Amino acid sequence: MSQKKKSGTSLLYQLIGEARGYDDAIIMGRGDPDFDTPPHIVAAAKEAMIHHHNDYSPPQGLLPLRQAIAERVKRVNNIDVDPESEVVVTNGGQEALFLMVLAVTSPGDEMIVPEPNYNTYADSLAFAGGVKVEVQTYAETDFRADPGVVRQLITDKTRSLLLVSPNNPAASVISPSDMREMLDIAIERDLMILADDIYDLFVYDDFQHVSPASLPGGKERALTLNALSKSYSMTGWRLGWIVGPADLMARVAELKAAISGGTSVISQYAGIAALTGPQDAVEMMAEAYRKRRRMVLDALDEMGMQYGMPQGGQFVFADIGFTGLDSAEVAQRMLTEQHVLAYPGSAFSKDRKDYLRMTFLQPEDQLLEGLERMKVVMDNIMAEKK
Amino acid sequence: MASNTKSAILAQHRANDDLNTPLLSQVARADSDLAADGMRSPLAERIIAAASAALEDGQTHYVDVPGIGPLRAAVADYLKVSSGANYRQGNIVITAGLQESRFLSIQMIGEQYDSIALPAVVHPGVRKALGVRSRNPRTMPVDPARGYLPSIDAIAETASDGCRLFYLESPSRLSGAAFTAGEVAAISQILADKDAALIWDQGLAPWVDGAYASPAALDSDCARVAAIGEAYSGMGLASWFVGYIAAPEAWVPALQSQKQIMAICTSTASQYAALEADQLYSEARTRQLSLLGGLRADLLSAASQAGLRVVKGGAVNLIALQLSADNMNRLRRVGIDFAAGRLFGAPDLVRLNVNHSTAAALAALS
Ligand SMILES: Cc1ncc(COP(=O)(O)O)c(C=O)c1O
Repeated sequence: MSQKKKSGTSLLYQLIGEARGYDDAIIMGRGDPDFDTPPHIVAAAKEAMIHHHNDYSPPQGLLPLRQAIAERVKRVNNIDVDPESEVVVTNGGQEALFLMVLAVTSPGDEMIVPEPNYNTYADSLAFAGGVKVEVQTYAETDFRADPGVVRQLITDKTRSLLLVSPNNPAASVISPSDMREMLDIAIERDLMILADDIYDLFVYDDFQHVSPASLPGGKERALTLNALSKSYSMTGWRLGWIVGPADLMARVAELKAAISGGTSVISQYAGIAALTGPQDAVEMMAEAYRKRRRMVLDALDEMGMQYGMPQGGQFVFADIGFTGLDSAEVAQRMLTEQHVLAYPGSAFSKDRKDYLRMTFLQPEDQLLEGLERMKVVMDNIMAEKK
Repeated sequence: MASNTKSAILAQHRANDDLNTPLLSQVARADSDLAADGMRSPLAERIIAAASAALEDGQTHYVDVPGIGPLRAAVADYLKVSSGANYRQGNIVITAGLQESRFLSIQMIGEQYDSIALPAVVHPGVRKALGVRSRNPRTMPVDPARGYLPSIDAIAETASDGCRLFYLESPSRLSGAAFTAGEVAAISQILADKDAALIWDQGLAPWVDGAYASPAALDSDCARVAAIGEAYSGMGLASWFVGYIAAPEAWVPALQSQKQIMAICTSTASQYAALEADQLYSEARTRQLSLLGGLRADLLSAASQAGLRVVKGGAVNLIALQLSADNMNRLRRVGIDFAAGRLFGAPDLVRLNVNHSTAAALAALS
């Protein structure tokens, strides 16, 4: 198949483009919540258009928003930051991610990255001239990144360790004891930590999210990103942030100014409303994802797919190796035959041709319909195999 | 425990003068702030209505990386009407403001060339963008008599030296001086002769009263010139951070892919607001142009009475003065914020925005 040669991102864009051509497509790929942004946040944006559209914002963001972020990371993540000097507002988690990578990476520097991972990390590292050193994780062990393996991969070029918890696409959550050990390794070997907490409000069963910056010795060497995209259904607003120690954050602020100058004040006011206003919509959405996750897992069990138990996040990464087919081919067949789009694992990592990522970011009826359609394709594939 | 790794990162950071170049604010912080890059302008009710309607309608999700189709089409049309450029929708990438346009174009077009030639006097955002990852900049001398634009000879010489990518501002972000039609034709000829390319910051073009010459209009198959700017300036959107890159088709994939990596897409509220601004722009800009033109004419005569040296410029939204250190201090003492020419590479100049407060600044100097 021609897709094999394409980069992960371009393969995804090709599939998304094809999916757009089908009126009845069910998109189980993109990490975009189906819920629209809660109305009180939209109302706050409208207010800002009337009263604040000409407001000056420094590149690191409006102070009231930075204060709301500082309050949020204290309340949710137990990270103490000074809103004046330790918070930078960004154009979504994506800009935060790019900035974090740039902030700690010079050409030739190595970053340890649990795999599979969100591809933008590799792309950002490539931009910075850094080198990705992979810690492989597997469905059988629920995609746990083993600190012992991390320890073995450190060289004198290693500068940083990336910890995405819950992880995209693997949906694994780093346990409190593993997190402590990761931080100990970072301290021992003098590494910076990049923590991506974007899915921190989506943790299931008894799993627990811990921010490395909240642990003793963590804050001074950790940059932590988050965004309103996933938790408040605000992907289109492009609002995220980084928090970290003042010395490194001064560098982050210069980098932010250099790459985009600032962040729309309308989105920033919407962000203040999101963080300081009523939180029931967030809880309602999180509850919906919990329920849908169960539905997806039940359907995958029925299809005989193996997966790492999604401990957090908004997706499941399932092993389809038993079909004997490349996931790009399976994803293509699902799309062409049944108009359902799941993302092939090869879009996340060249070593993940056996995996498919499915999100649970669709209304329940669509999700069930999508799973039904996937089952038809899987049945066909298995029948052909016989 | 102190971290050597962090200390090394910070030491490298402190040594990076380009990255640490201060930027100017996107809008004025107060009436006495004449330093900002963008204008504080009223926002039309229709723009508020359109942007809110889009949000209420559920346009709160990711959109296409290069921007929503209708806005890309509107920007292409606007560039055609305003400067004769031949860009189409597929040439346009909507950005989160001018600095993102600068960063993306310098870095991604810059990746395809060995070096990039910059005027010695250029907006500080250019050096700042290069501070993130150097693209081997070379400096072209500028001509004070031409509003601190590089001369055609300087451009030709740089091209003859083998540099094949140029970054030019027209109007200059410091003086407001714009290249004439004859100069633009000469620049186009150099590009064609040397198989060279150009990033052309035309963000201040709306504030040129009279004909505006763009090399994109002479680049009939849109192969060599990427034009960048803020979208619909003067419409109250400076703090909404929305800009564009109009680029040759061959360059769009790299720009788009990097835009995905660093932002995914541009805020929907900003894009829908810009789309509505497009509808109102022709009339609103004409009105503003004449208002600013009147104010600037008054300022020019006040400056001449006060014996101040005004730098030759064309854009009506700003006025650049050559000032002594004493006079700069005088402005500071009366609480006027100005854009220091030092940040652009011209230490004896200041840039003042033209608005109802500018006369007070000149009065302080007379
Ligand atoms: C792990 C991770 N980090 C960051 C992002 C960026 O999100 P956004 O820019 O929409 O806030 C994503 C988006 O999918 C993600 O999965």
